[in-house]
Order: sequence, then structure tokens, then C-alpha cells
Amino acid sequence: MPVVRLQQVTYYYPLTETPALQDINLEIEEGEFIAVIGPNGAGKSTLCYTLAGFIPHFYKGELQGTVEVDGRSTQDSNLSDWVLRVGLVFQNPFNQISGAKYTVFEEVAFGLENRGVPRNEMIQRVEEVLEMTGIADLAARSPYSLSGGQQQRVALASILVMQPKVLVLDEPTSQMDPIGTREVFGVIRKMAQKGMTVVMAEHKMEWIAQFADRVIALWEGKIFLEGKPQQVLTDERLAEKGFGVSRYTTTARLALSRGLWQAERPLPVTLEEAVSGFAAIRNGQSKGKP
Amino acid sequence: MHERLSFYVKRESPLHQLNPLTKLTLIFGLILPAFLVPFYWTPHLLLVLVVFPLAFLGKVQGEYFNAATRLILPAAGFLFVMQALFIPGGEVVLARVWFLTLTQESLLYAFANAVRIFVMISSFTLFMLTTHPSELMSDLTRRGLPGQFAYVIIATLQIIPQMQAKANTIIAAQRSRGLDTESSFSRRIRALVPLVGPLVFGSLVEVEERAIAIEARGFTSRLPKTSLREISDRPLDKGLRWLLLAMMLASLLSRIWFS
Repeated sequence: MPVVRLQQVTYYYPLTETPALQDINLEIEEGEFIAVIGPNGAGKSTLCYTLAGFIPHFYKGELQGTVEVDGRSTQDSNLSDWVLRVGLVFQNPFNQISGAKYTVFEEVAFGLENRGVPRNEMIQRVEEVLEMTGIADLAARSPYSLSGGQQQRVALASILVMQPKVLVLDEPTSQMDPIGTREVFGVIRKMAQKGMTVVMAEHKMEWIAQFADRVIALWEGKIFLEGKPQQVLTDERLAEKGFGVSRYTTTARLALSRGLWQAERPLPVTLEEAVSGFAAIRNGQSKGKP
Repeated sequence: MHERLSFYVKRESPLHQLNPLTKLTLIFGLILPAFLVPFYWTPHLLLVLVVFPLAFLGKVQGEYFNAATRLILPAAGFLFVMQALFIPGGEVVLARVWFLTLTQESLLYAFANAVRIFVMISSFTLFMLTTHPSELMSDLTRRGLPGQFAYVIIATLQIIPQMQAKANTIIAAQRSRGLDTESSFSRRIRALVPLVGPLVFGSLVEVEERAIAIEARGFTSRLPKTSLREISDRPLDKGLRWLLLAMMLASLLSRIWFS
């Protein structure tokens, strides 16, 4: 049985005529890693907010269809209970700091205090999650004194400590430098390996190709393509619709048009696939020549 | 600069160990007698015999006397001069300069008032030096203060340095695009517009995101909240609070009785 189920979901933001999401049908199995791609305004964030219950509980507007997680729908639940089902981490790490706490440890414990978790259990859970996200050494620091990558891991830890069933990430690394990106994706990879169900909106195709079990391409609020990362991320139609395309795919496509890529070989998304593809060509040529 | 967001000084002292509410009561247990008890030397004695020793008891004497000489003394001194010179009445004239008259009565009155202000600001200063803001808020929330209220107080304390940093960034950005912030007064006023706009609107956008962020951590949950900080509330605290309340009441009564 799927853990997340969206049926015929259509959503209009308040005072808008065009839907931000239109007829979305989606089922996500437990432990699956879903990547959501799409150009700006395609509905990635809206989908994330819908899963996390902020639509319809925080943003009003009109929501049609049902959003169910673990057999219960958002409409029948309130937001402060929903956070135990779906945890949301978004782009700007700075704005995710509560502002009510003076140390990283307290910051991560904030959600547990709100949920009335007993103190002993709280300390244990916070310690575990700090260890898991690799920020145990920052526990006594002020969350404001950290780098972007560190702050985003604090934000991740603050959500993971609530032990949600599904983790929703809305472009978690879009404001990070390469080091921050690697740190944050490192934690996400660990969570995926532990069998957590993850939905991640992201632009960085090379990372998606490494993580995702399934990719959903949104365009103008609709699901435009859906499938295995390799197949979706190298689809020809992506570039013309304004999706980001991995530079390795672009390179290989150009190579293909010049006869420098084996036609039967799928186009690469990551550096590794590209290198092995070009290596195969070179080996093939050297074998072919007398 | 981001590491230090409050006046709190972390030390091990009997004053630090007191429950925040006890210390809050202590503030008023000092201020009320200083203002109400009709005996003239009350505020002076309180200052020398209670406030100063408390600073040593709390092991914050360095920070306290620093603040006292740089902040509290000038404020109280200013008040003293103004009151001494401008309070009318009094028979024993000490000096007359132009239209100003200094009498013995106004001098004594101004002196007592200045010391009262000194006691008042001092007790708040000692409170802030020895009480962590989160500790205060957790304790008050536990006693029934709404969580939203506590959040607003703490978040405001934390947001001020952030806003300052952001304002500096915006000023630098606008100046690098040729905004004149250093010439005539009217130009400076006009320069405010492109500075305040981004700061205010930027902050409003952030408020929405921050609301989502704390909501995602169950902020509006109706369950009774727990606290990571353990706040001690010993029998000593309770006893002290009753004693202080009795003292406040006594000073109020003394005022009514003797006047």
C-alpha cells in the first residue's frame, strides 16, 4: 500500500484564475525516493506545501481532490499533528531557524518541546539526530553563527527529530555553495539509505540521478513526464520547456549529433556515465582500426 | 557578533541558581521600597547594602559596575541636575545663578530620586546579567504564559542584531550604486527611502517563511509543552518570593501609614 496518495489534486492560490497544480495523481511507496523537477513556477514548491499540509492549512485558496499520507487526508487533520507525518525543509536555511533558541541543541529540540515530549527522551532523540546529520560538534553554537550548509543541516535535523513518515525537501541546496550542497546531500543520502520516504524538489540533475528512484517533471502545474531518472532526465523535450539539463547530457547529445556517441547507449546524466560512454567510443574506435 | 545576543553572563553563582521568577520578584522587591518607604535614606541604603553586594554575590560585579558607570550613572546624574535646578520651592537657598535657584530641599529631593532610578536600573541590569532569556521564558511559559507571547519576546531579542546586519548590507549595496548617505541633511533623509524599503519588505517575506518553519515544528500544537531546560524552583525560591512580597506590602503600608 502506498504511503502517499494524491488523487485528482488541483489547487488555486487565493485570487488566482490559473491552477498552480492541476489533476495531480501520484502514489508513493514507502521508502521510495521521488525527485520533482520543473522550471520556476511549474508548481514544485506548491506540491511540496500540499504534501506538508501547508496547503490547505496555511495558504488558503481552493484545493480539490485528496491528499493522503498513511491513510489519512490533510483536510481531516490539523497542521500541528500533520508534522509527524510529513516533515518539510525548504530553501532558505536562515529563515528556518526558529529565532527562539540560543544553541543548535535547543534549536533542534524546539519541535519536541512543542509536541510535549518528555525531557529525557528529548535529549536522547536530539543527540541521535545531531550525530546522524554530522553536527554534533556544533551543538553548543548559536544557530546564527553557522555557515549555510551547517544551518541547513540544523534545519534538516530539526525536522528529522520529529520522526516524520515522509520527508519533503523543497530545493534544499539552492542557496548553498558546493561544499554546503555536498554536506546536505550527504545527510539526505543517509536518510534514503535508512529507508525513509523522500520527496525532493531539486534542480541539480547530477545529484537527482544518483538518488532518485523515480523522477516527476512538472510543467505548468501538471505532471508532464514521470519515470526512471535516466529516462526522464535525458528526455529531449526538457530543454525546450525550460527545464535544467545536466551538462553531461547536453555534451553527449552534441556528441551524438556528430557521431561521437554510440546511438544505442542511453544519454548520460552524471560525470561517471559520461566518462564511461566516451571511453566506450574510444575503445570501440581503437578496436575498429587495424 | 552573532554569538552574543543577550546581556546574560554565564557564571556559577547563587544568584544564577535562583529561579527566574524569584529574581523578577526581587527586582520589584527592591524598586517598591526604594520608591515608597518614607524614610529618606531608604534608596541609598538599598543601593549600598543590597544592590552592590548582590552584584558580587552574582559574580557579575565587573560587568555590573561597568554598566553602572557608563550607563546608569550618566542617566541618574542627568536626572539629578535637572531636578535639583528646576524643582520649585524650598527655603534654604544655597546658590542663585541667573534665573536658577538651588535650594537644600530640591538638592536632597533630587539626590533621593536619582538614587531611586539608580536602584531601579541596577536591579534590572543584575537580572539580565544573571538570567538567560530562554530560561526566563521557559519558566514563565510553564507557569501559564502563552507560548506565542514568549516566542515574540525571545525572537525580538534575537532579531535585532540580524536586522542590524541586514541594514548594513543594504546600506553598502545602495552606496555602491551611488546612493549619497553622507552629505546634507535633506539628502540623507531622501536616502532613507531606498534603504528602509528593502529592509521592511524583505523582513515581511521572511516572516512568512519563518511562520512556515516554526509551524513545521508543531508550534501551534495544543499539547502541553515541555522544556529542554530544567529550571530549578527550590523551597528557598518560594520562601524568598513570599518574603519579598511581604516586604513590598510592608513598604506600601508604611507609605500609607506615615503620610
